[in-house]
Amino acid sequence: MSVATIVLWLLVVVSVGVFAAQVATRVRLIAAAPNTFSINRIGVRLLRFFADVLCQRQTIAERPVAGIAHAFVFWGFIAFAGYTTTEFLYGLGIVDLTHSAWFHTYRLVLTGFAWAVLAGILYLLVRRGVARPVGLGTQVSSESIVIGLLIATLMTTFLLTFWLPEDTTAGRVNWWVHAIVILVFVALIPASKHFHLVLSPITVFLKSPTLGNLPNLDFEKEEVGLETIADLGSKMVLDAFTCVECGRCQVNCPAWGAGKELNPKEIILQTQAALLADHRETRLAAVYSEKVLWQCTTCGACENQCPVGIEHLPILIGSRRGLVSNGEAPKFLGAVYNHLERRGNIWGLGYDQRQRFVESSALEIFDPSKHDVLVWLGCAGAFETDYQKSMRSLFEILRSRGVAFGVLSKERCTGDPAKRTGNEYMFQELARGNIEDLKAAGPKTILTSCPHCVKTIGDDYRQFGYEVDVVHTAVFVDELLRDLPGDDAATGDSVTFHDPCYLGRYARKVDEPRRLLTRFGGTITEPERNRENPFCCGAGGGLLFADKEEEPGTRISDMRFQQLRATGANTVVTACPFCSIMLKGAHASAGAEGGDVQFVDLMTYVNGRLNKA
Amino acid sequence: MILVIAEHRDGRLNRATWETITAAQQLAGDQPIAIVVAGSGVQSVAAELAAAQVQEIVTIDNPALAAYTPDGYTAALHQAIQQLSPSLVLLPHTYQTRDFAPKLAARMGRGLITDVTAIKGVGGERAFVRPMFQGKLTADVIPQGPEPHVVTFQIGAFRADQAVRGQSAAPVRTIDVTIDASSIRQRPEAPFQQARQSVDLSQAERIVAVGRGIKGQEHLGLAQQLAEALGAELGASRPICDAGWLPMERQVGSSGQTVAPKVYVALGISGAIQHLVGMKGSNVVVAINKDPDAPIFEIADYGIVGDLFEIVPALIAALKT
Repeated sequence: MSVATIVLWLLVVVSVGVFAAQVATRVRLIAAAPNTFSINRIGVRLLRFFADVLCQRQTIAERPVAGIAHAFVFWGFIAFAGYTTTEFLYGLGIVDLTHSAWFHTYRLVLTGFAWAVLAGILYLLVRRGVARPVGLGTQVSSESIVIGLLIATLMTTFLLTFWLPEDTTAGRVNWWVHAIVILVFVALIPASKHFHLVLSPITVFLKSPTLGNLPNLDFEKEEVGLETIADLGSKMVLDAFTCVECGRCQVNCPAWGAGKELNPKEIILQTQAALLADHRETRLAAVYSEKVLWQCTTCGACENQCPVGIEHLPILIGSRRGLVSNGEAPKFLGAVYNHLERRGNIWGLGYDQRQRFVESSALEIFDPSKHDVLVWLGCAGAFETDYQKSMRSLFEILRSRGVAFGVLSKERCTGDPAKRTGNEYMFQELARGNIEDLKAAGPKTILTSCPHCVKTIGDDYRQFGYEVDVVHTAVFVDELLRDLPGDDAATGDSVTFHDPCYLGRYARKVDEPRRLLTRFGGTITEPERNRENPFCCGAGGGLLFADKEEEPGTRISDMRFQQLRATGANTVVTACPFCSIMLKGAHASAGAEGGDVQFVDLMTYVNGRLNKA
Repeated sequence: MILVIAEHRDGRLNRATWETITAAQQLAGDQPIAIVVAGSGVQSVAAELAAAQVQEIVTIDNPALAAYTPDGYTAALHQAIQQLSPSLVLLPHTYQTRDFAPKLAARMGRGLITDVTAIKGVGGERAFVRPMFQGKLTADVIPQGPEPHVVTFQIGAFRADQAVRGQSAAPVRTIDVTIDASSIRQRPEAPFQQARQSVDLSQAERIVAVGRGIKGQEHLGLAQQLAEALGAELGASRPICDAGWLPMERQVGSSGQTVAPKVYVALGISGAIQHLVGMKGSNVVVAINKDPDAPIFEIADYGIVGDLFEIVPALIAALKT
């Protein structure tokens, strides 16, 4: 065995040893966490793995140039796996395949990849070191620059092999530089954000197929939510070590955008640091700061935009659960919980108001033998005078199209604000009551104008074994009017549409409302942040009731109002009662500067155009 | 004899004590009334109370009572009650009373009737009326067993200005009690006061609130005049405070204060749900708005559809005559 072979063996052992020791720490932390891994709906997971890992969909989607540069590097890494293995087998004196004909062909093919990786990594180096977009953090990460330069060196040394024969000194030096760079790279990976290249394929596969997945707490097992680092589930720990610090979560977060302290990227990095510090009893409220946890609107942008499969909402809402279970909910939620507990609705109003609305709209009590669908009014439909206009429009549309519908004689809030603020006990109370009433009524299809009710009844209620088809009115009415001829002679309104987070991002219903707007000849001027990645109105996650929503920074609703206003459209159509309340509030607060903008709910818009025709 | 226990702090009498004196005078018949003031350096409080038509003011002046503690108060008042042997001991239902009155009653082995709103005769017996189940029911409580009976009165149940003043000042007498300072387990800190807002709308009895219908800051004077004529505080909806026309602490609604006045006058407020939630507890809501479809009319007891710039001056004129 030559000296060179022995030296390489020693270097490999050191490099792999350093790698393994650091990986072991992280694997131990993941194994010690309560197991929350799940592989349900495997088809969805495999498809996502194919799209987001192999095809780099999520990486490219939001940042096409940087995303493609990254994809080049990623695909290059995969292409080079065989080359690196073969060269090390040769260098370690195990087997020499480097002189075979196929290896020669393989090397020729790799040159294309090498140039692509080189171009990609140089672009990324310039972006990170010089252009420095805000999502990557205020400081240039020197470790990332080192890794970038290492990758560039690997490609350069590979390409040089075509000019430097291996039996010359220069050729041998070139070979050793390449090998040593690989070994340094391996040793650096686990403690850096580049660990994502090992973990992210696993994390993407293990990410829940539903956005904002929050399994019910089991009170029989005395589960109270996340209180300390030790309570973080295994997927959350995996998430913390997978983070690649790209900042997509950060720049898409409406709270961060409005100048609040919440930064979803920091949440993940703080989790990582706390895990590595190994103080398992540290309270999560201290790790993240309590205030930050109450700035999340649960809009889901962070989790939805993450390219490496991290789920932020279970951590944020899980920590809220831990606080609420200990009576540490913020003051503004006290009133909401009181309203939900005593009156069963978010505003604490008397149900005689709902009854009056039911009577004045001549609604029938649902009977499966008479009615096709059950219309779920929700808190806004029952109490919000403004929103009731939209409900009346819906009733008119349904009646004119011959849809027989009824309502429940009594409804409670679905429990969305309780679920999203971590008051799990109250959520389950409300859910059980509603499910009992719904089962007794026996509808096959539930129709609602509230996207939060869609998510809660359609998704969260499944965990209680209640499965029903819950349809948002935008989807139902789009279907209902499909065979009706479009109205080409119509006015040619210019409207803008604000996608509600729970409709666009959670339910991914973005085309149906748009079809309803354009079928009457209207043109849609799209605002920034739309479709599956809208900018929140500020109301989700219980923050409809936040008393100091403007502190610090600005109100999220004011920001969204300005974005919508910037489209120049005088009519803003919404499809969620929460969005409607927030945006109208922002418009009123803007005073004269708010201009002549009209907020119209989708059903009112559609009914108005139908009546005109 | 009926004994009233006065409440005071930093040499200032709590006005609720006068309400309790009114209750005592209504209960007394031909029984004499005494007022006990416990503390350290309580002469000025005693002198103020001497204006009441009562038999005497009894002071307990002891350095151990300089700051309120439940142990110190209970020890002192228990001895005073033993010396004076009243048939009734009356207190205002304040936070301080809630703190020590149960302990005092338990020390004597006597019943305590709290938060009484009225006194009435039931079958020839005297009953104390008190709310139950968060005010959903009221109970008529007739005290039984050996005297004295301890009763506390809800703030506002009796009127301080109806307390009968005497022709001349009532005599002030000091009694001695022994308080073992080492038996006082509490060590009071300096009183903590939350940063208080300059206006506390939640306590206001009447509120005149303005919304966007007021059109401009220069018209706020009109609302102010109406508020003054009604003896009301000025409130506002969110856009008014966002515009800086009125300070944030005057904002009513889910992102401002929750109020429950006896009268709420909404001027040019459309009644967005976020505003309604903050004032739905008002006893009587009067709404003035141009838009007959404004949601505020859904919860208004009295609604005027019209121009507030015509209606408000007329209201002010009517109130001034």
